[in-house]
Amino acid sequence: MLIGSIGLVASFALAQSPSLPTSAPAAQEPIQLRFSVWDGDESLKVIRKIIQRYESENPGVTIKLENIPDYNVYHQKMLVEYAANTAPDVAMMDQSHFQALATRGALVPLNDLMKSTPGFDIGDYYKPIVDAHTLDGKLYVLPRDIAPQGLIYYNKKEFDAAHIPYPDGSWTWDFTERPELKEKDFLWVMHHLTKFGKDGKPTQYGFLPSLPAVGVDTFMWSYGLRPENNDPHPTKVTYDTPDMIKVYNFYCDLSLKKKWIPSNSEVTNVMQQGAETIFASGETAMFQSGIWEVPQIRKDMKPGSKEFFDWDIAMYPAYANGHRAFPTGGSGYAIFSSTKNRDAAWKFTRYMAGPVGMEAMARAGIAQPAIRKVALSDAWIPGPNTPLEQQWPHSRIVTDQAVPFVQFGATAEYWPEIQGIIDARRDSIYNGLIAPDKALKLANEEGQNRLDSLLKEETLPPFNWTNGIAVGVALVAALLFVIYWPERGLRYTNRERRENAAAYKFLSPWLIGLAVFTLGPMIMSLLMSVMNWDMIGQAKFRGLHNYTEAMGEDPRFWVSMRVTALYTLVATPLGIFVAFLLALLLNQKVKGVPLFRAMFYVPSIASTVALTLVTRKILSPENGLMNSILYSPFINKTLHLGTIMSNYAGTPHDQVNWLGNEHTTMISIILLSLFGVGSSMIVLLAGLQGIPQFYYEAATVDGASAWHRLRNITVPLLTPSIFFTMVTGFIGSFQVFTQVYIITKGSGGGPNNSMLVYMILLYDSAFQTLRMGYAAALAWVLFAVILGFTLIQFKASKWVYYEADVK
Amino acid sequence: MHSRNQVVVEDPTVVSQEHDRYKKATRVAELSASAGRFVIWTLLVIGSIAFMMPLYLMMTMALKTPGEIARSSAWAWPQQVTWENFHTVLTNPNAPFFLFFKNTAIICTFSTAGVLVSSSLVAYAFARLRFRGRDKLFILLMSTMMLPGIVTMIPTYVLYKYLHWVDTFYPLIVPAWFGGGAFNIFLLRQFFMGVPRELDEAAILDGASHSVIFWRILMPVSGPALATVGIFAFIYNWRDFMGPLIYLNSPEKQTLELGLRTYQALQDEQWHLLMAGSVIVMIPLLTLFILGQRYFVKGIVMSGLK
Repeated sequence: MLIGSIGLVASFALAQSPSLPTSAPAAQEPIQLRFSVWDGDESLKVIRKIIQRYESENPGVTIKLENIPDYNVYHQKMLVEYAANTAPDVAMMDQSHFQALATRGALVPLNDLMKSTPGFDIGDYYKPIVDAHTLDGKLYVLPRDIAPQGLIYYNKKEFDAAHIPYPDGSWTWDFTERPELKEKDFLWVMHHLTKFGKDGKPTQYGFLPSLPAVGVDTFMWSYGLRPENNDPHPTKVTYDTPDMIKVYNFYCDLSLKKKWIPSNSEVTNVMQQGAETIFASGETAMFQSGIWEVPQIRKDMKPGSKEFFDWDIAMYPAYANGHRAFPTGGSGYAIFSSTKNRDAAWKFTRYMAGPVGMEAMARAGIAQPAIRKVALSDAWIPGPNTPLEQQWPHSRIVTDQAVPFVQFGATAEYWPEIQGIIDARRDSIYNGLIAPDKALKLANEEGQNRLDSLLKEETLPPFNWTNGIAVGVALVAALLFVIYWPERGLRYTNRERRENAAAYKFLSPWLIGLAVFTLGPMIMSLLMSVMNWDMIGQAKFRGLHNYTEAMGEDPRFWVSMRVTALYTLVATPLGIFVAFLLALLLNQKVKGVPLFRAMFYVPSIASTVALTLVTRKILSPENGLMNSILYSPFINKTLHLGTIMSNYAGTPHDQVNWLGNEHTTMISIILLSLFGVGSSMIVLLAGLQGIPQFYYEAATVDGASAWHRLRNITVPLLTPSIFFTMVTGFIGSFQVFTQVYIITKGSGGGPNNSMLVYMILLYDSAFQTLRMGYAAALAWVLFAVILGFTLIQFKASKWVYYEADVK
Repeated sequence: MHSRNQVVVEDPTVVSQEHDRYKKATRVAELSASAGRFVIWTLLVIGSIAFMMPLYLMMTMALKTPGEIARSSAWAWPQQVTWENFHTVLTNPNAPFFLFFKNTAIICTFSTAGVLVSSSLVAYAFARLRFRGRDKLFILLMSTMMLPGIVTMIPTYVLYKYLHWVDTFYPLIVPAWFGGGAFNIFLLRQFFMGVPRELDEAAILDGASHSVIFWRILMPVSGPALATVGIFAFIYNWRDFMGPLIYLNSPEKQTLELGLRTYQALQDEQWHLLMAGSVIVMIPLLTLFILGQRYFVKGIVMSGLK
């Protein structure tokens, strides 16, 4: 037991010591390069083709493509692999993630390789995307594409109908409409493309940004503002300046009062993919996003089909003073410093993020080449030979013209946490729940406090791994002591001794598994909780400061504790109650019961995406099933349910925005959790089926009513199963993650952190800010809470009736 | 009850009255039973409509073209049903369905077998045997469920790397044979504690060993419990995303759940294919559930014994 767990801790200690230089493999040996990407099906098709071509041009080199089709989890896996020294040779990377790896020496700086490669000129690449992947003068990612979000997709049919000339990019925006500029004024165009129905509700919107944050951020950049003072090393949060508040007020006015832009709730109402769908279905005349929407738009309306309308792209307007700026995306390929074939990896990187790779991606319409020459060729810009379907958008040259104005924003690895704190407040602004000045002042203060505490320089001693191993040994010894010391005085009879020996034989699979697979990582994580460690660099000893920081300094800790406790204490009992009722119903001898059982179990085996979609469809503020019922004239006139809910949500004049309103998000995730009662239901059903029929027969003969039978036979005999669903239900609820994560789309805790469950905080600490030590401390705090809660349940389990209790 | 028996013996007229009342009562009981059945049935129908919504949405989207998905309401049944999406998913060379199916089936079969064998052995000890440190060890068992997996992920990965198990199915199968998880052990323990001990007491007096009791007495009556655990384990592994994602690298070793995600990548979502794939991936689970039901609803645990 000891050896396995200590061996693991020791292996981390070894990994911390400098490794011996490995000799380079001989040139003739066949080389295999591992290559990781986060791409989906469409891009993969193209990438596979490029790889095949590369392999045929370079005999002796094989490329192993490892695809991790989930952007967030991709970066998580890269970290895990690098920490375990199994990182790929070449990996896709972007500006918001490379810095964390680069500062820890995980990526090869490309400058020397570039210099020693004849004919290679980084000047061929767009400068902004190269700069965005450069840290302290060194380039770490060879860019493959750039994707300015400063594109306005516009519906030509709507422009024609309103007799407005198509935008050519020479337009501007101002805080008030400028009718004298006509089509050269963005607001005027927006205004004249918005149509209202007889009921005063918009039937078509003038403009829609892909996300409210993108819309407001673009106004912000374009007006010349910044969210912080320094992109690579921010120290000041600047969300509360009067100018910033002005921008937010402006956006709210457009979307909540004038209704030229759909409000947040109207967008989330539509399917998950959101804004693009609204444009393709003709419900908004203009739409702001990046070029990546093109393949989907092409798929949604094929030329010649009845849904098709002519469309194109134009550049986002400049501010009235001529200043132009917008957010952007982009990505490239990096080489992990652990590669044993640096030169081969570089050659391959150059190929993938070079003219050949880019041209293939461009032809498929997937990515705007990062090399300007390729971006201007007919691979990207439609020419006379371009097939009809790929003609749209015609003005693709705009993507090139947009590049000089792109803004990447903060790249510091700790910024996402700050941005998360701010976004939690921002979300309520878009929904009109809080005035921008109030929300931004709060957001800025909270963000700045957290930033200050993260930036506090700590001089910490390196973690002493010898002591760490000793502590690990001591912990295992202490565990054994706690388990066996109290029983040291027991003397067993022969029969008891045999029973004891037999028991350990039965237990042996678990005991071996515990010692080999479970205990080591658990002890390791306990040691991590006193470290400042990212699993890559040198581990520092931080004592109990991770714990005190969580409970004393991190504003999100107590918020998340409260949110999690509320969820757990409501969702678990409710879930068990519903499961119990269902099990009772499904235990009846009624026609079709086997089919019903399967139907109630469907959500437990359905895809998570489908569940999310259903949730959105039920809870969306406009046309959602829930609101259709609550606000239907019949229900609302007689029971006033809709009015009651609207008042409760703080929006008395609107229908409740269940997933966007901080007062109702908790109700929403609790309702969603009910979809998962299937497994508790089965446990209880199996328990019910195990109750001998003759108990009931005897009771019926005695004239016991159904209620008495339920109370005096069913419930007591079901208590072992109920107890099980209770204990495991609470343990699971405390660690609730997925159902919140999919609703918030992986971005923090929802409006005003009302869904910031503990695991979201933990996940972000571990994989977004790479503070593994802090995350481990958070995990052990949660462990203590759950353990205490579970022990209380066991201590108070006198009500559980076991046929065969072994005292 | 006592008084009624006396009445029956003493007075024949009362007997016939009693008989009438009994007949009336049974008729009322029958009526109320059929009314009850109707109420139950109505509740079941309403409830199942709510619980079938995910599958309904999956189906409508799987049967639509991307264009129709973009324009129509998700609730609307496709105007023109297309089976094209299912065909595309099954024949996509980038995510070879049948290969992924085979991989997933291998992982699920072997790990579920492991869970069933090892968790029932361990649960037997916790439920029916006295041994040193039993209660504390049980708390230790439960506590392995309480530490969030995020913080043990990297140490565990490093461990498997030293065992040379990365990019093999072993990390997804072997641990199941060593305990099968606290959840399953706890579940089986609860079931085992509900089985009366009279039979094993008798068997022990006859000199039977605990292995004999386990295999000959406990296992035969534990069908429902084992079916429940088996279904849970199989479904868990079938739907597992993080495990295969972290431990498997090679394209030819991917599982169905990973394959599905390629239709859901960032800025490359293909809802029609994703939903068609989800429906196909769900079918084996639904089949398993419907077939497995026969076992866990048989209810032979105790009724077969007493």
